[in-house]
Amino acid sequence: MRNKFLTFLALFILGLGLVACAALDSGKDLPVRHLSSEDAGGSTSKCTDCHEARGDKLAFGTFVHTSTWGSNHRQTAYQNEAVCSMCHQTSFCTDCHAAQTELKPSLKNQSDTYRQTPHRGDYLSRHRIDGRVDPSSCFRCHGNPKATKTCVACHG
Amino acid sequence: MKFSLRHFCTLGVAALLFFPFSAFAAELNIQSDTILRMFQRDTAADENAAVLPAYEYLQVDIENPDELGLAFHLYGWGRADLADNEYFADQSSGELLYAYFEYTRQEAAFNARLGRQYVFEGVANEALDGLRLSSDLGRFFSGSLYAGQQVAMTKQNGRGGDSIFGGRLANHLAGVYDLGFSYKKIRNDSTDAEELAGLDLALYLPANIWVRGFSSYNLETDNFAEHSYELNASVGPVSVRPFYEFFQYEDYFGTSANSANPFRFLASTGEELTIFGADFTLPLDALVLTAKTKFYDYKVLDDKSQYYAVLATWAGEGQSQLGAEIGYMLGDVAQNDYVLTRLFSYWDQLAEAPLDFVSCEFVYVAYDQDIYGEDRSLFASIGTGQKFMDDALEVKISGDYSKDPYFDEDLRGMLTLSYQFGKSL
Repeated sequence: MRNKFLTFLALFILGLGLVACAALDSGKDLPVRHLSSEDAGGSTSKCTDCHEARGDKLAFGTFVHTSTWGSNHRQTAYQNEAVCSMCHQTSFCTDCHAAQTELKPSLKNQSDTYRQTPHRGDYLSRHRIDGRVDPSSCFRCHGNPKATKTCVACHG
Repeated sequence: MKFSLRHFCTLGVAALLFFPFSAFAAELNIQSDTILRMFQRDTAADENAAVLPAYEYLQVDIENPDELGLAFHLYGWGRADLADNEYFADQSSGELLYAYFEYTRQEAAFNARLGRQYVFEGVANEALDGLRLSSDLGRFFSGSLYAGQQVAMTKQNGRGGDSIFGGRLANHLAGVYDLGFSYKKIRNDSTDAEELAGLDLALYLPANIWVRGFSSYNLETDNFAEHSYELNASVGPVSVRPFYEFFQYEDYFGTSANSANPFRFLASTGEELTIFGADFTLPLDALVLTAKTKFYDYKVLDDKSQYYAVLATWAGEGQSQLGAEIGYMLGDVAQNDYVLTRLFSYWDQLAEAPLDFVSCEFVYVAYDQDIYGEDRSLFASIGTGQKFMDDALEVKISGDYSKDPYFDEDLRGMLTLSYQFGKSL
């Protein structure tokens, strides 16, 4: 199995190398930066206000920031990092997904109640239950030795 | 290695000195967020000791906004405890979250990043010091590759023998499907710490229906760690998102040296968690109504839990929003039961007021079983702010009150100074 992966990686490096000497453009021609909300004349969080839900370049309908987007964006982001970065700098992501931080996102941005940041209110009490019910959701952000620094004070 | 404010400043100055400004018309943008918190805690030094942590979040970006090419990005935070009342284990702390040079070309969407950076793709949710390359590989393929040392393991016997590498190869037809294969391997102190492979899929069907999914395979334990799949469809004006998730704890949490408590012990439980449910969203102009259902089923524990929630948000001009949410967690065991109520508002249409916005939030949770003798928690916060100096400086103050199982009564204050600086170089 591992030999297959090494083969895959070698081919992959070769493929990337080819980019340097050949025109391997996808033809999507997506912009690196999206218009700001000021330049776009309104909020850019509902893509389908301006784009087709199933467009030629992207399925824009899948990027609409609904009221559940804060808890459901994982798979979209893991497939489309370049699309996220059109509007968001990495610092926006690291408010929640940081290797190590002391201020939880709802505290760092306490006044921004319109952002559906996780762990709002007295989450210290609630995390005992949420962690028991679904520890997989905790693991995504706290699942390595550095990010778990806030956990070890009590959990050892 | 800890990064303090001094380290941020040193790195920032170094970046400014060594950046090839003359090569192109670059623009320097600095965002500084200084946060001062105030609260009281019982510490080893005193009862009701004042705790005054001051945080600095500094972001530096050097790039040409009108032209692709070379750019530099830096972001990190530092904290100093001004009161020094032994509340924090260390009087100062901090972290360089990212600092990397980036080169981007429009052709083939080529992107190269060198330095400390985050990689969010496929099976990777990692911070690393190293190199990442990504590019289109013709009309139907694209790929990325990264290698370096992982940031998360810096405290595990230093960084000698630590490494991470991986990538994602995707096959796609724009607007129809996207199929990705990803791989990640982490070594700690010259021994294998984590090895994952993943398959991700997005399928865009007619009638505004799409399917998205992800499976990860733990190559160390030789078994699937996770399956997560969802479907999105519209039934009249209502958007429906049914979803299914499955986790095998031994393979999901069993990430060897890269794992940590409290998750490490879960890997040995042999538990299998199945989660399924659906979200329903009904937009009514500015008002959006949402209902959420989530069902949890445990194989070993032979237990079940359910979560139900309804959420209403009203959006006005600017960022103005009003919202209300009621959630109900119901478990086979009563200690998992709670009812959550949340009300929030953010209002930035204050033409006649000397303030730019006012926000407030109220969260009330009632627990079925006492936690430390309390069966409820109450949290309330209020905040406001104003911009000065042609909007370059924003001053925000907020306060919150909490009465909960951990604190009889807790009052906290926060002052935030956000400063933006931009200059053509």
